[in-house]
Amino acid sequence: MKEWWKSGAPWIWLNGGAVTISMIMVFGLLLLILVRGFGNFWPHGIFETTYMEPGADAPVRVIGELRRSETLTGEAMRSAGVDIPEDQVLVERHLVKMGNRDVTGRDFGYFIDDFMDEWRYPEDITVLERREWGDFLGTPLRLLENDVTVAVGDSLWPEFQQRLERSNDLFDEIRRIERGAIGNVNFRIERVRLDERRAELRGTTTPELEAQFAQRRADLEAEYRVLEERLNRLYDDAARDSLVLRVADGQEVTVRLADIVKAWQPNNMSIPAKVGFYVSDFFGFIFGYPREANTEGGIFPAIFGTVVMVLVMSIIVTPFGVLAAIYLREYAKQGALLKTIRISVYNLAGVPSIVFGVFGLGFFVYFVGGQIDQAFYPEALPAPTFGTPGLFWASLTLALLTLPVVIVSTEEGLARIPSTIREGSLALGATKGETLWKVVVPLATPAMMTGLILAIARAAGEVAPLMLVGVVKLAPTLPIDGNFPFIHLERKIMHMGFHIYDVGFQSPHAEAAEQLVYATALILVLLIVVLNLTAITIRNHLREKYRAEGD
Amino acid sequence: MESKRLAGHYSHRYDSELEEVVNRVLAMGGLVESQLTRAIQSFLDADTAVAHEVIDTDTRVNSFEVAIDERCVEILARRQPAALDLRLVVAVIKTITDLERIGDLAEGIARMAVRLADGERPRKQLFRDIDTMGRRVTTMVHDALDAFARMDPAAALDVVRQDFAIDADHEAIMRQNATFMMEDPRNITRMLDVTYAARALERVGDHARNMCEYTIYLVKGRDVRHIDLAEMEVVVKGETAS
Amino acid sequence: MSQRNPAASSMSAGLFEGSTRTVRSLADEEIAISVENLDLYYGDTQALKSVSMKIPKQRVTAFIGPSGCGKSTLLRCFNRMNDLVDGCRIEGAINLHGANIYDRKTDVAELRRQVGMVFQKPNPFPKSIYENVAYGLRLQGVNNKRVLDEVVERSIKAVGLWDEVKDRLQSNAFGLSGGQQQRLVIARAIAIEPEVILLDEPTSALDPISTAKIEELIEELKEKYTILIVTHNMQQAARVSDYTAYMYLGELIEYADTMHLFTNPREKATEDYITGRYG
Repeated sequence: MKEWWKSGAPWIWLNGGAVTISMIMVFGLLLLILVRGFGNFWPHGIFETTYMEPGADAPVRVIGELRRSETLTGEAMRSAGVDIPEDQVLVERHLVKMGNRDVTGRDFGYFIDDFMDEWRYPEDITVLERREWGDFLGTPLRLLENDVTVAVGDSLWPEFQQRLERSNDLFDEIRRIERGAIGNVNFRIERVRLDERRAELRGTTTPELEAQFAQRRADLEAEYRVLEERLNRLYDDAARDSLVLRVADGQEVTVRLADIVKAWQPNNMSIPAKVGFYVSDFFGFIFGYPREANTEGGIFPAIFGTVVMVLVMSIIVTPFGVLAAIYLREYAKQGALLKTIRISVYNLAGVPSIVFGVFGLGFFVYFVGGQIDQAFYPEALPAPTFGTPGLFWASLTLALLTLPVVIVSTEEGLARIPSTIREGSLALGATKGETLWKVVVPLATPAMMTGLILAIARAAGEVAPLMLVGVVKLAPTLPIDGNFPFIHLERKIMHMGFHIYDVGFQSPHAEAAEQLVYATALILVLLIVVLNLTAITIRNHLREKYRAEGD
Repeated sequence: MESKRLAGHYSHRYDSELEEVVNRVLAMGGLVESQLTRAIQSFLDADTAVAHEVIDTDTRVNSFEVAIDERCVEILARRQPAALDLRLVVAVIKTITDLERIGDLAEGIARMAVRLADGERPRKQLFRDIDTMGRRVTTMVHDALDAFARMDPAAALDVVRQDFAIDADHEAIMRQNATFMMEDPRNITRMLDVTYAARALERVGDHARNMCEYTIYLVKGRDVRHIDLAEMEVVVKGETAS
Repeated sequence: MSQRNPAASSMSAGLFEGSTRTVRSLADEEIAISVENLDLYYGDTQALKSVSMKIPKQRVTAFIGPSGCGKSTLLRCFNRMNDLVDGCRIEGAINLHGANIYDRKTDVAELRRQVGMVFQKPNPFPKSIYENVAYGLRLQGVNNKRVLDEVVERSIKAVGLWDEVKDRLQSNAFGLSGGQQQRLVIARAIAIEPEVILLDEPTSALDPISTAKIEELIEELKEKYTILIVTHNMQQAARVSDYTAYMYLGELIEYADTMHLFTNPREKATEDYITGRYG
C-alpha cells in the first residue's frame, strides 16, 4: 500500500478520474440535448384507446401521442386522490399529447396505465399542424369546397393533399405580400412622414414641398390599396376549402385548410416517409418563423438575430481590442499606471454580465442613444430611434463584455513574437510603426483570432444583459432586409438564448414548449460550434501561414 | 622542464598532453646527445664496439621522431591550439626534425669511426681538433635542449652565438686537412673521412642553432631564421610575447 | 606593432601570391568607422568601458571574448540597436563618414540602412522569400516591380541561394532550412546596399556545412562591405576575419590583425582566452 502511494499511481488515478468526470458531464449534456432536441421532429405514432377511471360513468375515448411514461408509488397516487387499490405498490402513468386545445381545452393529460384499454394505432388518424391553437388530432371524414362535399373515403387523402398544397401556396403568396411589398410600402410611407417632419423642424417647408409630400403619400396609398385588394382576394381564395374531422369524443369539427400548415398520418407512414418528414420538419424549424407566442413554428429570426448580433459584435470588438492591446503592449510606458489599467481590464472579464446590461441600458441606450436621436433623428421624436434597445446596443454591450478576452489574447500573442523578428525589421531601417504593422501584427493574428473565438463563444451564449439592451421575445422584422440601408442597427432582434428562456419559462403551454426548448438549445449549440469552427479554421490557416520555426 | 607556462588550461588533459610532448622531446634530445657523445668518442678512440652500438641505436631516435610527430598531429587535429600552444607544437615538430638529423649525423660519424679503426691512425693533432670541436658541438646541443626545456630565449641566443665558434673550428680543420692532403697524397682517403666527420659536426651545430631559433620563436612569437645576430638580439631583448 | 622580417615576408608573399590572406596592418587601412572612448551603461552597471578602435573598410573585423564581455553590446552600438533597451546610456562617439552616429541630428532609420545587421537566430519575416528580400526597399518606398525583381535576384544570387529558391520565390520563407534562412536574412540585409554589415553570432544556430557556406559568403561580401562579426567560435574568427578584437568585462583588451592575435597575442589575457587557460 505504501509503495502504491510512493509509485505516484494515486495521482494518475486522481487526474484521470477528474478528466473522466468532466468528459462524462460534457457528453451527457450533449447527449441529452441531442436526444431530446432531435426527437422533437420525429413523427411519433398516435394511439387510440378507451380510458375508464374507477367511479366514472362511462369510458372516455383517448387519441394521442405518448410523450413520457413514469412509474410512481401507489401510496403517492392514493394521497393525490386517485383511486388505486390498497395493495398496488407501483403505478405507471403516461403523459399523452392529445392536441385539440381549442376543442377540449386541454391538450396534455396524464393517464394511469391500469385504467387504459388496449392501444390501437388506426391508420387514418391524422395530425394537423395549424397556424393557431397547436396540433389537431382526428379522423378525417370529408373534404368541403365552399361547404359542399367534394371528397370522402379513399379519394379524400390525395385530394386533401393537393388542396392543402394549393392553400399553402396561397398562404406563401400572402406572406410574401405582407412581409415584402406591404412592409416596403409602410417603410416608404414612414419615410415620407419623417421627411415631412424634418422639413417642418428645419422650417424649410414650402407649398411645393408639401404638395410633393402629399403626392408621394397619395401614390403610396394607392399602391397600398392595390396590394390590399390583392391580399383580400387571396384570403378569400384560401378560405375556399375546409376539412371535417371527428375528434376523440366523437364530435365533428371543421378545420379550414387556410389554417393548416401541414398534415400527416403517422400510423400510415413507412420508415423512409418518416425520415423524409423528419428532415423537412427539421429544416422547417430552422427556417420557419415562430407562431403562437413562439411555442410553434420555427426559430429563424432568433438564429438570424443571434448570428447578426455576434457578427456586429466581432466587427466592433476586434479593432477595439486589438488596438488597445497594441497600445498597452507596444507603446505605453510600462509602469504602475499601466499595471493598474491592465489589472482593471483583466478584472472587467469577471464582472457579472447583467452589470454590463445595466450599464448598456443606462449609458449606451438612454444617454448615447438619446443624444444620437436628438442630433440625427429629431423628426422621429418622441418615438426613439437609437434611444431604445436595439441590435447595435446589444452588440456594443457584448463587445464591451468580451473586450478583455480579446485584449488579453492579443497581448499574449504580441508578447510571444520573438524580439529577433522586430529587431530584424528595425535593423533594415523600419520605424517602430512600420515594424509593428508589417511584421508584428500579422504574426499576432492567430492570437487575435483565438481571442475572437473566445469572445464569440461567450457572446453567443449570453442572455441576461441582452434582455436589457435589445433582445425581445418577438421582433416584427429582421435586422437585415431589402429596404435601404439594408442593415438596421436600431432594430430590436430575437436571440436564441432568450428564446429558450422565453419558450421554456414564459410560455403558457409548458408541456408543448419542453421539446422546443431542447430543440432550440441544440440549434444554439450547433450554431456556436459552426461559428467557432469557422473562426478556428481561419486561425489555423493563419497559423500555417505564419508558422515559425519550432512552433 | 619549465612547464608552468604551458599548464593552466581548463582541460587538464590538454595540459598533460602538451607536457608529455615536451618531455618526449627532451628524452629524444637526451638520447641524441648521448648518441653524439658516444659517436665522437668512438671516432676518437677507434672503438668499433661503441660505434656499432651508436649505429644500432639510431633506429630508436627515428622511432622517437615518428611517435612525437604523430602526437603533434593529434593535438593539432583535436585541440586546434592557438598562440603559445600552437607555437609549441610547431616548434616541436621542427625541433624533432633537427634532432633526427643530428642523430643521423652521429650515426654517420660512428660509421667513419668503424672505417678509420681498420687502418692507420691519422695524426694526433687532427684528433685533438676534432675532439675540441666535438666537445663544443656536444655542449651546444645540450645547451640548445636546455634552452628549449626552460623556454629561455636568452640562453638560446647564447647557443646561437656558439655556432660561430664551431664554424670557425670547421674552417680551421678544413684548412688543416687540405694542407695534410697536399703534404702526402696517400693520406687523402683518410683525410676525406676526417673531413666528413668535421663537416658532420658543423652540421650538428647548424641543427642546434635551428633548435634555438625555434625556442626563440616559441617564446617570442617571431620567426628569427635567416636574420643576423643583431636583429635576433633585439627580438630576444624585446618585450615578452605573453 | 609586429613587423616581421621584411625579407622573409616578401619572400612568403611571393610564394603564396593571392592564395592566402596576407598580413595586414591597421595603419595602412582605410578606416570606415572609428570608435572613440565609448562608454555604455545599463542603468548603473557599465557594460562598455572607454572602448576606442578603428574599423577598417572592406575588411572583416571579429569580436571575441567570453559571454557577457560586451562584444554583442558593442556590435549593437554600431546601428544603435541599444536604443531599444530601457535605461541604456551611451557616452563617447562612433564616427561613420566623419559624423558621430550618436549625434542628435542622426536619422536612426537612415543609419540602419547604412549599417545592416544579421542576428544569431535566423529571423525571416512571415512573408514570402521574395517579400523578405524586398522588405527594406519597400520601406524606402520602392514599389517598381522591375527594380524589385532585379534587386531581389541580385541579392539572392549574391548569397548563393538563387539556385535553391528561384522556383519558389513566392513561398513562405519559413519553409527554408536554418542555413538557407540565415543566408536569406543576409540577402535581405544587402538588398538595401548598406556599407557595413554587423553579424551577431550568425552561425551559432547552424550546422557545420551551413556554417561553412556562411563563412564562404563572408569572404565574398568583404569585397564590397565592411563586416563586423561577433562570434563565440574562435576558430571561426581565425578563419574569416582580417582583424580581431578581444574583449573582456567591457574593455577592449587587444585589437590586432587576426594572424597575429591567434599566433602571438600581445596580452596575456588574450592568450589565456584563445588557448583555453584560466588567467
